[in-house]
Amino acid sequence: MGYPHKSHPKETVVLSKYFGDAEARSLRGWKKRGGYESLEQALAMDPSAVTEAIKASGLRGRGGAGFPTGLKWSFMPKEKKGPHYLCVNADESEPGTFKDREIMRWTPHALLEGAAIAAHAIRAEIGYIYIRGEFTEPWAIMEQALAEANTAKLFGEIRLYLHRGAGAYICGEETAMMNSIEGKRGNPRIKPPFPAAAGVFGRPTTINNVETLAAVPHILKHGAEWHKKLCLSNPKSVGTKLFSVCGHIAKPGNYEVTLGFPLKDLLHDLAGGMRPGRTLKGCIPGGSSVPILNREEAESTLLDYEGCVEKGTMLGSGGVIVFDDSADMVYQIMRLARFYAHESCAQCTQCREGTAWTTKILERILAGQGKTSDLDLLLELSENMTGKTICVLSDSCAAPIVSGIKKFRSEFEAYIAGKKRPVAA
Amino acid sequence: MADGLITLTIDDTPVSVPPGTLLIEAAKQVGVLVPHYCYHPGLPVAGVCRMCLVHVEKQPKLAIACATQAADGMVVHTQAPEAKTARQSVLEFLLINHPLDCPICDQAGECELQDFVFQEGRAGTRYGEYAKRFNPVEDFGPDVLYVPNRCILCTRCVRFMDDVAQEPVLNVSERGDRAFIGVHPEGRLDHAWAGNVVDLCPVGSLLSKDFLHKARAWELDKTASVCTGCSQGCNVTLDLRDSTVVRVRPRPNLDVNRYFICDHGRANYRWMNRADRIEAPLVRDGGTLRAADWDEALARVRALLSGASGKAVTIASPRASTEALYLARRMLSRFDWTGGFQLVMGEVAPLAGVPNLALRAERAPNGTGAELLGYSPDVGSVLQAAQGAAVVVLLDEAEVPVQTAGALLYAGTVLPEHARHAEVVLPLANMAEEDGTFVNRDGRVQRYFQAKPAPGMARPAWWALGELVAELDGASQPESAESVFEALAEAVDGFAGLSYGALGLNGRKVRAGAGVPA
Amino acid sequence: MSSVHVPAGTEAYIPVFTGKTQAELETIIKRYPTKQGALLPALWLVQRERGWISDRNMTEVAEVLGVTPAHVKGVVTFYTMYHQHPVGRHFVQVCTTSPCNLCGAEDVVRALVQETGAGELGATSPDGRWTVIEVECLGACGFATPILIDDDFIESVTPDKVPGLVKRYG
Repeated sequence: MGYPHKSHPKETVVLSKYFGDAEARSLRGWKKRGGYESLEQALAMDPSAVTEAIKASGLRGRGGAGFPTGLKWSFMPKEKKGPHYLCVNADESEPGTFKDREIMRWTPHALLEGAAIAAHAIRAEIGYIYIRGEFTEPWAIMEQALAEANTAKLFGEIRLYLHRGAGAYICGEETAMMNSIEGKRGNPRIKPPFPAAAGVFGRPTTINNVETLAAVPHILKHGAEWHKKLCLSNPKSVGTKLFSVCGHIAKPGNYEVTLGFPLKDLLHDLAGGMRPGRTLKGCIPGGSSVPILNREEAESTLLDYEGCVEKGTMLGSGGVIVFDDSADMVYQIMRLARFYAHESCAQCTQCREGTAWTTKILERILAGQGKTSDLDLLLELSENMTGKTICVLSDSCAAPIVSGIKKFRSEFEAYIAGKKRPVAA
Repeated sequence: MADGLITLTIDDTPVSVPPGTLLIEAAKQVGVLVPHYCYHPGLPVAGVCRMCLVHVEKQPKLAIACATQAADGMVVHTQAPEAKTARQSVLEFLLINHPLDCPICDQAGECELQDFVFQEGRAGTRYGEYAKRFNPVEDFGPDVLYVPNRCILCTRCVRFMDDVAQEPVLNVSERGDRAFIGVHPEGRLDHAWAGNVVDLCPVGSLLSKDFLHKARAWELDKTASVCTGCSQGCNVTLDLRDSTVVRVRPRPNLDVNRYFICDHGRANYRWMNRADRIEAPLVRDGGTLRAADWDEALARVRALLSGASGKAVTIASPRASTEALYLARRMLSRFDWTGGFQLVMGEVAPLAGVPNLALRAERAPNGTGAELLGYSPDVGSVLQAAQGAAVVVLLDEAEVPVQTAGALLYAGTVLPEHARHAEVVLPLANMAEEDGTFVNRDGRVQRYFQAKPAPGMARPAWWALGELVAELDGASQPESAESVFEALAEAVDGFAGLSYGALGLNGRKVRAGAGVPA
Repeated sequence: MSSVHVPAGTEAYIPVFTGKTQAELETIIKRYPTKQGALLPALWLVQRERGWISDRNMTEVAEVLGVTPAHVKGVVTFYTMYHQHPVGRHFVQVCTTSPCNLCGAEDVVRALVQETGAGELGATSPDGRWTVIEVECLGACGFATPILIDDDFIESVTPDKVPGLVKRYG
């Protein structure tokens, strides 16, 4: 459901069925709605069988990377030589994305059930649900739901704990999250070692996104085939996805559609289209770290992993940021660069210095002091910031800059030529 | 693969290494130095500076050589255009906030940022327009200053304190381009081995207060030596400006001190520059000592020795070289000889992250050497023996007050009060002014090298005493410390088979179970 | 380990981790295989009890968890939600990242800074009641502009709603 709006007929409502339904938060209410049957089923299965079921379903990580979930689980050791850990990534901080918040505050038990199933599949006795510090409401609701579930002893030997973040986007990166859980600065780690070999506290670990785990009980209940049939385009992209539509749009909110759904319909139909008197200028389909699409591209993109790659962008987290003709692309791209500069952990030279430098160049262009050589400089710095660092925050800063200059160059040139009034940033 | 090694190609040159070797180390073996900052063989790998990016065939992205293990058949190009561009961009990014302090920065001339910018960097910056980040200089502790503006956040210092010193008093504070190295206000950088962060810092961000503005790196003459602060025998480099020792730095020895020295040893060099030296031989004439030349002084010694018999005692400084200790005993071979030395003791301060490495309680470098040559640490009883001895030789030991009814011969660097009733005083070179060896507490014999000339007429002990001993043996005067060591190696059990050539720059151990010579 | 030098002449420090708070921490510590794992939760407890985290608090946390004060400080300065100095009675966080920026977030910031009397971002109002800061994406982009007032997450704030909000919190 596009809470706070009612579900649109073109949505495929699975995860969002109970968004807005306060009763679904309670254990009793959730069980009435069919909850925890899948967990019961899973706990009676061999862990490897659970993994196989998820593998067969084609579910891919919904946090942004789109890595096949069952395959990720299968990397965990089958033989137990000590504790295994599950980490649930509820750090949702990617600009434009606000779906995990909804899952947690409306259907907390969906997440708990999915997490418990995952923990069972990877033979983990402990799971940490890492909730960003700013999510005070989801935290309170998850705390309550977890207390209820524990009282009912639903998780067997598995223990799930909430762990509160404290204001760091980078902790959504899986290895940074592990460091944060360990009580350290949220610095991403170099790989190898990979989490399944040595993760949190040095133990085999799997990290999964909230939306990914919320899908797991449905897959066990309805079967892998059911999941695979939820497909509108490429068979490698199946299932439903919550798209968080925001920015210059009439009805911002989360919309759940089957993968392969046309972005054009999501924008102009489901989300109510442009605000009165406005036209679409551009759109970022997958959270601010993926390249910006111009109007033409946006209106011909199919929303799945392959469809987005075909258009030179990525599905990412599914945070759909909409820009209409009133948007100042230079300003917004500067604001995004500033976001990355604030969030850089400071380990890698290119990211630490590059995010700040590119922000300063963009501020200078906005202030009316830009030079024509600045655009080439920005492109070169972006190239130097891409593919050369421990994590992809650096690449993420470069993406809007490169795509922005490519597709909205005239706006940059207008500032540089003095045709636009300078703006203090 | 033969003998378990794998073979890879680096810059078109094949190299065979044990599996698991890091590319950056494998490259060293074919003479390729991959530019880097955060990597250091004595520290855990961090992989943060991103400077060591190289192209590895078949890999979609550039790899960091410090964290990539060599694999059989791997083909690596350190000079591939994309790798050089990437490294050049890292340098450019480092320089946007790094101030142009070279003219006033101690690190100039031995700065890794200068070195790699010269080698691979851009000729000019594209960041001319903005203010650079500014933070004031901080005093971290007893000897260390931190200049945040110059810091490139390689985190070598943090990793040293965390993992090698195992006292995590340094951190990275803040985030992004606001980050800097911090301490907690209630903590100081006063660990006994903290000074190593200054050596580890690739740039002039962490500085030694002791060395601040003392000399330019290119003015320094560097000489391999061994620390005299305690019996650990850390290998060091003495840095001299115009024949004055101005700095001591660690010299790598994987078997002794790896890459580190303690702060006590680091500060232990001022005595090498003492000006109050004996600069001429002295002989007793009537009631006083007067200056003489070497011929006269040595002739007087010969006369004394040939005219005496019975007991003879050598009281030596445990800072004397093995060669000197050997000669100071051999010259009394006609007598019933006792030898002794006094060891000053102090607090032990281990470097927790390195096995068998500590500032040792025995605050002298050659106590073990003395013992192997028959000297006793029980200086009390030796002093007693000295009272009734016919001849007492005092070898550069200024702290032990000797009283004797016999003839006192003093050979040393400074003239202590109690040596003023000596019959003859021979001026000796100090350890920085001669070649020689020490034996550390583990029985490792290590060479040190002459770093500066001896003042006035002072000579090394191997020369001064060597002549006397040569006469006794009917042999020729030794030509070098090396020839004395050769004689020592033949005569003293544990040193069999050793020679200066065999000792090289990192030393060799005496034979296990070495006994004391006849 | 080198000793902690507490400057002479300071008033006696009142520890945070006593009684109930200590019991809370001990429960939390059990969730992790190392005491250090409880660091972020411990810092939240300090901030809950004292409103901010002082250098002395950091030393206490370090002692309780068996880490160094420098480590704790490195963590506190990394995570932006921990206050390193006292803030107003009400702490306001306003998202201004692009999705909210497109929807007028900066106008909301201006309104708040003015209405609270804080005067400028990061400063505390003269009456000590308000501190307003800009923050990065709060994860509620479809409900622009979201703000946090203390622990209350308030959606869909517009400039006209600001006076009422400020009055309500008073």
